[in-house]
Amino acid sequence: MIDRLRRVLRVARWEVARAGGGVDRRTMLAALALLLVAGAVLGGGLAVGAVGLDVDRDVYRVAVDGDSPYADAVEEAPALTRVPVDGAALGEAADLVVYDGGRDGAVETVAVRASDTRKGEAEAAEFREAVEAHNERLMRAEENATAAFPITVTLQYVSRTSGLDDGSTLGGGGASGDDGTSAGGGGVDDAGDGDAGGSGDGDTGGSGDGTSAGDDGTASEPAGEGLAVPSVGGGTFGADTIGSPGAISPPFPFVSLLLAFVFLVPMNFLIQAYGSSVLDERTNRRGEPLLVTPLSPVDIVAGKTLPYVAAAVLVTSVIAAAVGGGALSVVAVLPVALTFLAATFVGAMFARSFKELTFVTVGVSVLLTTYAFVPAIFTNVTPVALVSPLTLVVFDLQGEAVSAGEALFSTVPMALGAALLFGLGLGVYREEDMFTQKPVARKFLDALAVRLSAVEGVALADVADRKRLRALGSVAFLTACTVPFVFVAELLAVATLFALPVTVSVPVLLVTIAFIEEVAKSVHLYAGFERGVFARTDRVAVAVGVASGLGFFLAEKATAVVQAVGLTDLYVGRAAFGSVAGVGELSPLALAALAFAPLLLHGFVTTVAAVGASRDRTAYALTLALATLLHAAYNFGVVSVHG
Amino acid sequence: MGDASERGATAGRSSRLTIAGRELAGLRAEKTILLAIAIQLFIAAFSSFLVVGLVSMYDPGSLGGAEVEVAGAGDAVSDLERAASEVQGASVTRYEDAAAARLAFDRNAADAVVVANRNDAGEISAVVTAPDATVETTVIVVQLRELLRTYELNERADRVAYLSEPPLPLPDRTGTSPYFTFTYTVLIPVLAFLPVFISGSLVVDSITEEIDEGTLELLRVAPVTLGEIVDGKALAAVAIAPGQALLWLLLLRANGTPVANVPSILALMTALTTLVVALAVAISALAPDRRAAQFLYSIGVLVLFGGATAMAGGPANAVARLAIDSADATTTALVVAYVGIAAVAYVGVRQLVAANGFGD
Repeated sequence: MIDRLRRVLRVARWEVARAGGGVDRRTMLAALALLLVAGAVLGGGLAVGAVGLDVDRDVYRVAVDGDSPYADAVEEAPALTRVPVDGAALGEAADLVVYDGGRDGAVETVAVRASDTRKGEAEAAEFREAVEAHNERLMRAEENATAAFPITVTLQYVSRTSGLDDGSTLGGGGASGDDGTSAGGGGVDDAGDGDAGGSGDGDTGGSGDGTSAGDDGTASEPAGEGLAVPSVGGGTFGADTIGSPGAISPPFPFVSLLLAFVFLVPMNFLIQAYGSSVLDERTNRRGEPLLVTPLSPVDIVAGKTLPYVAAAVLVTSVIAAAVGGGALSVVAVLPVALTFLAATFVGAMFARSFKELTFVTVGVSVLLTTYAFVPAIFTNVTPVALVSPLTLVVFDLQGEAVSAGEALFSTVPMALGAALLFGLGLGVYREEDMFTQKPVARKFLDALAVRLSAVEGVALADVADRKRLRALGSVAFLTACTVPFVFVAELLAVATLFALPVTVSVPVLLVTIAFIEEVAKSVHLYAGFERGVFARTDRVAVAVGVASGLGFFLAEKATAVVQAVGLTDLYVGRAAFGSVAGVGELSPLALAALAFAPLLLHGFVTTVAAVGASRDRTAYALTLALATLLHAAYNFGVVSVHG
Repeated sequence: MGDASERGATAGRSSRLTIAGRELAGLRAEKTILLAIAIQLFIAAFSSFLVVGLVSMYDPGSLGGAEVEVAGAGDAVSDLERAASEVQGASVTRYEDAAAARLAFDRNAADAVVVANRNDAGEISAVVTAPDATVETTVIVVQLRELLRTYELNERADRVAYLSEPPLPLPDRTGTSPYFTFTYTVLIPVLAFLPVFISGSLVVDSITEEIDEGTLELLRVAPVTLGEIVDGKALAAVAIAPGQALLWLLLLRANGTPVANVPSILALMTALTTLVVALAVAISALAPDRRAAQFLYSIGVLVLFGGATAMAGGPANAVARLAIDSADATTTALVVAYVGIAAVAYVGVRQLVAANGFGD
């Protein structure tokens, strides 16, 4: 063990020495110079007011008289630009014309005419906001403050004292929130209702270990000063602060989120260097000397990766210290960094050229950045946010307590995913794959086939049963390993289709999800047949198909945590995870049937796909489509039964 | 003589095209361009999801359904009720005193408590209690703000005589999609600029890879000049950019988002692509190896992109104004200026590289 560690460290030292040569002092100086110039330009621009982050500057043209009091309102709004009324035909030079009632100071009424387009509507709304902002400025200049701001608001956040019922009335009448879904106000048929209705349930479900953590922390503190604001909301209106209604800013962890994003930025540079380093080994057979040493591929990869992990931890710690995060932030970012590196490693092992690697790197960083960042936006909104470790960072920056369960829930799956990816890439870290120019798909099959053990087509009794079972076990295990990725893919599918109307999104989603699951269950079987690990007989196909279905079934059941986070309460979420959740008041017999129906389904459809996979590519594609349709039909049945 | 130089020019053009064709064939063989388009599609889909999510948090009324139940108390509660009748998505139930209202809150009969009292000076103080750290806090507070602002407007209107300058009357509320501005000011510029950066990155990779593997030396033995090699590579990279942008704009149009001034947008983004490609060529000529080159390129792009969004007349804003059909003479002048800058930058970089070569 010690010996191995020493070997890994030796590779790590060598990697550091080499990487140091790649990015030399001159490059660093050039980069620094670039950043300095950018900083100077930005700073100078800020100083003279030419710079502002308004991409919407002057996108709307409003026709208003120069001497109208509304002209000021228009000119102060960055998104609006003023054009003269004369000759301003609607839809050509302007999309909104303002007619104010009076000429002499006091304006009694105002009318606007907007062009009959969506742009006109948007412009009218923008104009109203501009007038509101203008009024606010006017009032601030007013001497009679009582008349200008007749209402002073004191906003305080308190947790409810009764711990019995944490549901909420949002979306329903005055009744206490006993049933989140029905409180959605009738048919749960659009995203808004689903969200509002689901959040009630999610809260109740998660309160056992999740959301109540924050409550516990605040309830014990004396009321008055310890009332935690849910977040740093722009800083204008905190807890127990007093101001006019306009100054209320809803709790949104904007600042914390922005800071959390800072943690992700260095990752992009890190994976660029790491990906280059791995691909460097593969071009011109540079990595060959290392492969022929007594070092195992695991040692080499671990050694090569270690400096980058260390750099990630170091940079994260520095950032954490700078923005006021604690050890929790570092712990939470570590799995993210590992996943970045793992995905890049796989990409660099599969890529054929630096060009391809660049796209892989961009893809990895886009995908992971959104996966880590987007859920964190909903930190205070739904417990599902915890699927991203970055949510922990936001909690940490807000100074909120995080339970051990929450921390584990959000870090362990991602760390596991990283480990699996490294495993996948390590499968092809060998001579015959590293230095050859195979298409990505073929290399992927190689990487999968490496993890399988041979299943021969001979009669059952002949072969030692244990060996055969172990081979099938490896099939089931490999399928189980895909489950985290299946969930991620399904989550992304839910997220991407979220914007569509439910009538479209649910059928598309059902088919997409069935497809994702079917691919996950059968692609390694195809790899096994293609690479000659499995004998091409129907009996073997049935055996591996059933084994794969069983592996998926067990792994899926084991991840019933999805239910605990309340994801199933989102309507689309229920469609996605329908087969694991939503068991209502049914008889025990039906319940048992329901519990094992997925097993039958998975076993059967995977066998169908496996039989195709044992023939050739066309047959596999056809049976995969058939399996997807069967699976989707089953899911559709489940969804319509459970409503 | 003239014949010979003409033949030379034809040869130069065809060798440029050959090199460009070779670059494109490489891209096609690796199907990298598909991955690039997939990435862009993902970004577009996800940013839309993001906006829908954010808007449903901030503007719950836009999706319909959410109704905030407020427990009201205090001597000014009737005015609060009056305001609530004007606001969608908020209703006020009157309770006898603050304690009763708070009890209702604790029992989950209300989402929030507002205790409004009038003091001797006529000023109203509202003490608002919102639930802490529950799932709906944001939605509740957004609705409360709307309610209290309406209340404030009503009260202010009653005291208009004491104001030296009365507030301007507000135009009527109109229904609008909150995604509209986002689509034009964020989504379209992002989709127009992604291909720009992809093209630049391609050039960096293509050149440094050839240097690294020694194939650039081979190319130089062939009867082509270094300038022609650079031209060919740049041509391929610039050529693939407008197609991608056009694809997005057409897709948006098919989705019911009309995009105006498409030719100007494409001209602008092609000019930017040329500029970024020039930057990429310059960096790969200066940097010692691929890692350094890619690092410098990312920094350079970060700086450029930051500048593009932050500048008042920046390209991001220009694209937004063109797409939404609010362009004027300055926008057109900007497009022309960018084309000019890009041409000058590319020709300059090409001259430098042709004279000094890559590496050293």
